[in-house]
Amino acid sequence: MSQLTRRDLLKSAATAGAAAALAPALGGSAAAQTTQKRELITAQSGDISKLDPHFSTSSNDIRISFNIYDNLTSRHPDGKLHPGLATEWKLTAPTTWTFKLRSGVKFHNGDPFSSADAKFSIERTYDPNAKTMVATALATIDRIETPDAGTLVIHTKKPDPLLPARLAFYGGQIVPKKYLESAGNDGFNAKPAGTGPVKLVSWTKDDKLVLAANDSYWGGKPDFDQWTMRPIPETAPRIAALLKGEVDIIVQLPADQGERVAGNATTRVVGALYAGLYVLAVNSKRPPLDNPLVKQALSLAIDREAIVKELWRGRGIVPSQPIAKGDNHWDPSLPPLPYKPGAARDLLKKAGYKNEEIFIETTVGYLSNDKQMSEAIQGMWKDAGVNAKVEVIEYSVRAQKNREKSFKGVFWSDPTSTLGDPDGMMWRLLGPGGPQDYWRHPRWDELGNAARFSVDEKFRAQAYKEMSTIFFEHFPWIPIIQPYEDYGLQKYVDFAPNPNQQFEVRKFNLKFKRA
Amino acid sequence: MRGIVGFLAPKLLRALVAVWLVTTVVFVVMRLSGDPVPLLLPPDAPTSEMERVRRDLGLDRPLPVQYATFVGNALRGDFGRSIHFREPAWSVVVRYLPATLELGLTSFGLALLVAVPIGMLSAIKRNSPIDQAAMGVALVGQSAPTFFLGIFFILTLSLGLGWFPTSGRGDWRNLVLPALTLGAFSMASIARLTRSAVLDVLRQDFVRTARAKGLPELAVVMKHTLKNAALPVVTITGLQFGTLLGGAVVTETVFAWPGIGRLAIQSIYNRDYPIVQCTVFLSAILFIVLNFAIDLLYGVLDPRVRPR
Amino acid sequence: MASSIPVSVPADLGAAEAPALRGGAGARRTRRLVIAGGGFVVALALMAIAAPWLAPHDPLRQSLRARLAPPTMQASDGKAYVLGTDHLGRDVLSRIIFGARVSLTVGFAAVLVGGIIGAGLGILAGYRGGFADSVVMTVADAQLAFPFILLAIGIIGVLGPSFPTLVMVIGLSGWVGYARVLRSQVLVLRSREFVDAIHALGGSAGRVILRHIVPNVLSSLVVVATLELARSIVLEATLSFLGLGIQPPTPSWGVMVQEGREYLDSAWWISTFPGLILMVTSLAVSRTGDWLRDLLDPTLRGE
Repeated sequence: MSQLTRRDLLKSAATAGAAAALAPALGGSAAAQTTQKRELITAQSGDISKLDPHFSTSSNDIRISFNIYDNLTSRHPDGKLHPGLATEWKLTAPTTWTFKLRSGVKFHNGDPFSSADAKFSIERTYDPNAKTMVATALATIDRIETPDAGTLVIHTKKPDPLLPARLAFYGGQIVPKKYLESAGNDGFNAKPAGTGPVKLVSWTKDDKLVLAANDSYWGGKPDFDQWTMRPIPETAPRIAALLKGEVDIIVQLPADQGERVAGNATTRVVGALYAGLYVLAVNSKRPPLDNPLVKQALSLAIDREAIVKELWRGRGIVPSQPIAKGDNHWDPSLPPLPYKPGAARDLLKKAGYKNEEIFIETTVGYLSNDKQMSEAIQGMWKDAGVNAKVEVIEYSVRAQKNREKSFKGVFWSDPTSTLGDPDGMMWRLLGPGGPQDYWRHPRWDELGNAARFSVDEKFRAQAYKEMSTIFFEHFPWIPIIQPYEDYGLQKYVDFAPNPNQQFEVRKFNLKFKRA
Repeated sequence: MRGIVGFLAPKLLRALVAVWLVTTVVFVVMRLSGDPVPLLLPPDAPTSEMERVRRDLGLDRPLPVQYATFVGNALRGDFGRSIHFREPAWSVVVRYLPATLELGLTSFGLALLVAVPIGMLSAIKRNSPIDQAAMGVALVGQSAPTFFLGIFFILTLSLGLGWFPTSGRGDWRNLVLPALTLGAFSMASIARLTRSAVLDVLRQDFVRTARAKGLPELAVVMKHTLKNAALPVVTITGLQFGTLLGGAVVTETVFAWPGIGRLAIQSIYNRDYPIVQCTVFLSAILFIVLNFAIDLLYGVLDPRVRPR
Repeated sequence: MASSIPVSVPADLGAAEAPALRGGAGARRTRRLVIAGGGFVVALALMAIAAPWLAPHDPLRQSLRARLAPPTMQASDGKAYVLGTDHLGRDVLSRIIFGARVSLTVGFAAVLVGGIIGAGLGILAGYRGGFADSVVMTVADAQLAFPFILLAIGIIGVLGPSFPTLVMVIGLSGWVGYARVLRSQVLVLRSREFVDAIHALGGSAGRVILRHIVPNVLSSLVVVATLELARSIVLEATLSFLGLGIQPPTPSWGVMVQEGREYLDSAWWISTFPGLILMVTSLAVSRTGDWLRDLLDPTLRGE
């Protein structure tokens, strides 16, 4: 009975970006739990790898880096763009945006924030010598001017209406110019300094990360004095920690365990439809994955319905296109990606597939259910005649392979739609020079480029439609599911999940219920 | 004096051979897998760093020189930098060591505390239901694979009865199940051995004499058995260290106990070979030192060896 | 030069108290036990061979609809799963049956590898004597008590898990027993007593060897091999549990226990049944070895 109630709630809260708080199974006896604690303790499934915000876009890292640093603009869980380190912004010419910057802000090391820092941070992302992981995030920028300490003028190569949205996400974190230049990348990564609501106290790898609240934060001191993040890779102990009250919030709550947390007297589940997709990204440079027919067959051989229903308990939707539901230009007329194992077998024959090994390299728990889905998909591919092998790799190994682009076959990825627009997802990641640049197609590239700089939404819609069609022929990603990402909370925590995986601890989003 | 030296020398030799064996196997295996440098450095290491490591390991020199360099480094505790932790492998491993020692010593202490009295009791009450039950359990304890024993305890005592936590290191409650799991084999072995040793003693003449004199059974047993059974028990104890050390790897993995065994396994997944090498070597040294200490203790206890 | 324990510690800790003499009530009972134990091994082997016909389901076939099903005659997909299903809906019973194949294959292969290496080294030590003998025996002693799993981790960790590596490593961990048997036999063959015995018994050395030595060696080797088989099966399961042995989705009892770890609180059968059968197998095979030793060669005790 409680199952039904939850499912009905899900259906009605289907818009991306809407946080769906699940009612506890026992009909919400709402004696609100309260606390006096001033320490926030969270647990996630992997430790951070970098504290330098421009060198990692992994969800394990951004949950922290978006709180150590601020961006010029800020995307809140409600889906809207809010002022960050910029208080207002205007398109002052077709290819020029002017930002007014917040005054009186200081970095954690005491340096004052000014336009020089903003210019430095942004230019750093696409500086070829810096070799950051976010080189394509702000690649539309041509040059930046700083007429005075409180004003930033950005000229884009072509008209770019999405620029403020771009600045809200990866690559847009602002770092201190003077300090970074003197400390160097390694020094900065060891002792970072941002303007955000928390600052680093200590990091003991694989044990805990301790952050202290920034008392003089411009947005107000967060509702805690200290934040400890504990990486707990195994699911069972992570959930046990929540149920026992050792941890306030856990991330990556698998659908299997949601009922346990929801049914527990002291905890509850909140989730949001992920503003992005879980896909098997393909290293299309490795045969036989360079053959489009093979990739089409691989996609057809996957029973996504079963995966959503059985492995996710229905907490997700089968994707229909490489655009996330809730984004601009999501085409509601496209059907969910089909399951046709017979057709898959035929395609493989047509493709001349000679039983070459196809590897699924998966982590365990970096993406919810990654290993389980890998095994299920391997079974489905085997049924279709594919010589599929699952290889488990550790998260740090995955990060390494990601940087070197050395995956053996397909690997899990959770592309985030950073702008609420296909430009911020498939184009950002799969475009030329992007982090997942394994496949090129001249027409697709042409369309992506044109759509990025067009202000004509009708044109853009057409372009993305055509890009999707090309996509269905070549499958640089094999989309699997657009899931609800669930978090487990103590009932005394007031917290809204952000569909784009940011973990917002600023005081407008995270509060303890105090008596 | 002759007695002790003559007694210890072969032990020392055996210990050194074991160290050499372990070192050599590790060396050989590393070379077997091809160029070891990429295994020992993070992938974004600059070529200058790679060249430095290459020189340090003597990879441009003939194999015997490489081996000597490797052994020399190992004895100095230099295993390179951990790729995952970004600090010297040795310092990482040493940091995780106390947890393993805590677990090992507790398991061992528990094993002794439980097994010796039970062994004695079984011997005294030979063939009684107590004896049969105890020896039956001991049999199971000796043949049960450690990892399944751990899982079984989690299922029944932790998830089932809720008496203990399922994993991790914390207060004494976290220690019980891992110690029980790790100590099971030793407990069983020591119990059975104690029983045999005590039975042996009970059969001896002086015991019959004491009984004939009318002395209480328990006093007789306690006085004589402890002295005479001590030796074999000490010996078997020495052998247990191997089991404990090896079992620690499995037990720590099952219970997510943050010791060097679990570190070794995780480092394999992490492809962090400096740590793998260092852990194997350190465990070997530890094992050998402990065994040597036991041999020394044995030498002290055994009247035949002590100098007159 | 066995373990340097001068006191007569019964290293065989499982013996019945009165040694089984050849003939007599003790021996009869022990013989029956050996037959029972041996019968178990044979039954297991038969089950492994007949796996494709015995197993009710394909051990690799997934059925997501019936995942995590408890032992049932009617799961969500309508089929019967006597021991339940795992997290991918695969039949636990079928996987256990096929798992026997894996365990026995690796076990026997490792015994073979260890046997060949051990016999070779034993013969070398006995025949050459002197330095070669000391070296071999010192290495044997050093390896005996050392926790081999650490070396196994070091080796497999670097070379990567694969079937040949696994067999090699497990085989290498157990060569010592065979070496000792062969070494003593070679020493006997070289001894003056033997040479005298040939003269006394008349006839060729060859006939004496065949009629007396070989059966002796064979029976000792059988005892060692049986005990080693038990140990190899458990070692394979342990390594597979740690992720260093057989890789999923191939069903090995160790792999199955590992896979079930995540679901201990919701689907206990996934780990429990393979673990139980592993325990029973280990117990049966090692006890058979113990009884065989009592029966065939009590001199192996105290070695």
